[in-house]
Amino acid sequence: MSDIYSIVTSQKLSYEQKVVALAHAAEDTLSVLNIPERTRYYMESGVICNLNEGNAPYRPRYIMPDYEKAVRQGVKFLELDPPQDLDELLTFLQVLYRHVPSITTYPVFLGDLDRLIEPFIDGLSDEVVKRKLRNFFIYLDRTITDSFCHANLGPEATRAGRLILDVDRELEQAVPNLTLKYDPAFTPDDYAEQAIYTSLCVANPAICNDVLNRKTYDRYGISSCYNILPIAGGSYTLTRLVLPRLAAMTDDKQEFLTKLLPEAMQCMADYMSERIRFIVEKSGFFESHFLATEGLVERDRFVAMFGLVGLAEAANHFAPGKKYGTDPEADDVAEQIMQAISDFVAHYTCPYCEIADHRLLLHAQVGIDTDHGITSGIRIPVGDEPQSIYDHLRHSARFHRFIPTGCSDILPFDITGKQNPAAVLDIVKGAFEVGQKYVAFYASDSDLVRITGYLVKRSEIEKWNSGQAVLQNTTQLGAPTYASAHLANRKVRGV
Amino acid sequence: MAIVRKLISQSTVDGPGNRFAVFLQGCNIRCAYCHNPETQAMHDDEAHEMSVVDVIRELEHCVPFLRGVTVSGGECMLQPEWLTELFLAVKRLGQIRNHPLTCLVDSNGTIPFSHYPELMQVCDGVMLDVKAWDEAVYSRLTGAPSNQVVRENLGWLLGCDKLTEVRIVCLSGRVDVETILENIAETFDSIGRKAPVRLIRFRPQGVVGELSNHPMPSDEQMNNYARFAHELGLGVTIR
Repeated sequence: MSDIYSIVTSQKLSYEQKVVALAHAAEDTLSVLNIPERTRYYMESGVICNLNEGNAPYRPRYIMPDYEKAVRQGVKFLELDPPQDLDELLTFLQVLYRHVPSITTYPVFLGDLDRLIEPFIDGLSDEVVKRKLRNFFIYLDRTITDSFCHANLGPEATRAGRLILDVDRELEQAVPNLTLKYDPAFTPDDYAEQAIYTSLCVANPAICNDVLNRKTYDRYGISSCYNILPIAGGSYTLTRLVLPRLAAMTDDKQEFLTKLLPEAMQCMADYMSERIRFIVEKSGFFESHFLATEGLVERDRFVAMFGLVGLAEAANHFAPGKKYGTDPEADDVAEQIMQAISDFVAHYTCPYCEIADHRLLLHAQVGIDTDHGITSGIRIPVGDEPQSIYDHLRHSARFHRFIPTGCSDILPFDITGKQNPAAVLDIVKGAFEVGQKYVAFYASDSDLVRITGYLVKRSEIEKWNSGQAVLQNTTQLGAPTYASAHLANRKVRGV
Repeated sequence: MAIVRKLISQSTVDGPGNRFAVFLQGCNIRCAYCHNPETQAMHDDEAHEMSVVDVIRELEHCVPFLRGVTVSGGECMLQPEWLTELFLAVKRLGQIRNHPLTCLVDSNGTIPFSHYPELMQVCDGVMLDVKAWDEAVYSRLTGAPSNQVVRENLGWLLGCDKLTEVRIVCLSGRVDVETILENIAETFDSIGRKAPVRLIRFRPQGVVGELSNHPMPSDEQMNNYARFAHELGLGVTIR
């Protein structure tokens, strides 16, 4: 009750943020999931973390509507006919986005924006298109006040894509988060260089290894914090295993690998299955929501993300005095842990995940604002990065191979990188060639920074820290994380 | 064996793309604005003898991330046989890895490239410093008697399409930037081919002697040079 009162009376939350927080509080008064005692123990000790998904899930966590299909057939429920020109398209999308649910209540996926827009710009000058896109992007940034919101570009170069990059650079906004799917066979160098240049100006877009990631599903998109998910589907849930908290329960690596880890994984997987069952069998989402009834999402294209966080600290715990990222001993322990997790999910059968062959899919969860001393997913802790960027990227590749639904590195570059985006592209090409799956940059002097995957303005963090309300929810998450994870000390890569 | 000052596995200022840079020890001229004068002497405690194999060993694990290798100095053309051997090995490595690597030379142009046909077969291009055009200006800046060979190299490299870039360090009063640009444009016209020109702003960091406290040229000054170059039909960038 006191929680609800504090939400109602807060002066730091905007009106919309209060409504969302109150909805969460209401949901959490229910207790409808069967949670065994051992699972409760792991949840209470923080080993299994449901990322505040709520006690009674009434929609999948991440939804990836098939926007191309929507544009082709219109949306009956919203009384939207297929758009005929660019103005109609942008209005169509604005309305549709407003009605796409997710864990954040905002859409986490805005579609392959370049491909959606490209057919509608023939005969319009660059200036006209950019003016319309600018208004569209301002609308998105000011109404989707949460930067776990992602639009995709590429892999082919399009005029629309180039104009989107131009507008993105000019506006310097946290929303939408952009990712360029990159495949050297389809993405021309000059387009990739424009994307990288944009990224070194405004920390956006990130670059996704299309060659490796498209092996996961037939059609995929990147949503939220670089989740790799099927289009026309999504993910029911993302629950995470907080490895350092589990490791802290023993100093014996064998006990960890053969007893604690298997037990905690079993509890977490069963808990995830329970959530999936509730969404599919009880919530009524797939029977009643227009996205499902109009075929813009299909139930059998949803997966479930088995998250893990803090591999570095867990590995270091069992390799005393060694550091994950630079010491082979710690890296080998990490590999043993990842292999054990990977073997577990390869054999666990979960309900309603047809597209994943009924397997839970691993995800390198990036962390939350209350994590302290826990490094994102499988990343190397800030301060422990290898001297050479090549060693850093090879290290990532070694662990990225285990993770199908999203893992990434964030590399701040010296501002001189802006003068030679081609050089940064060479590094990206090398990274992808050795198996790294997804990389994001920002310049060391940029106002926009990537926190764990999402974007926040340093100037907004200062505003929030001084007690003022801010528009973006993610600033509230980013401000403590920027400090507690020492992100200002990330190793800046000189180029 | 060559005397190597240092290796840099990731450089974006030594030619196109991301490059592995090899800095050789020893230079045959003494530029007043040299920002790494410690590389001038032919021997130095911090320089080491390295074989081509030693360098390749360092290069190997960088290959996927690189566009190529650049050898700079000091003046790398003082060790041309080693340079040829290195480039051959780099090309071979690129072939084995199915990742072609380009080999570039960063040179003061005082050694005639036309005398080293074997090197030029495996060298993809030269980034040539044109430090001054007027001989007296050149002598005063570098201590060397003549820049005749530099001028010849400019035309010769352009003629065989091996001129990757022309570099001019801009420092008003000490460098005849406009004259250099005019003569470069004339050379380009006479040969009927062009190469990119880079205007490098003088920076006092690392400089010893009379220019160690000399101010950098202003943005305005650099933009004026660039405009002048544009008017001559040259493609220039400022760094």
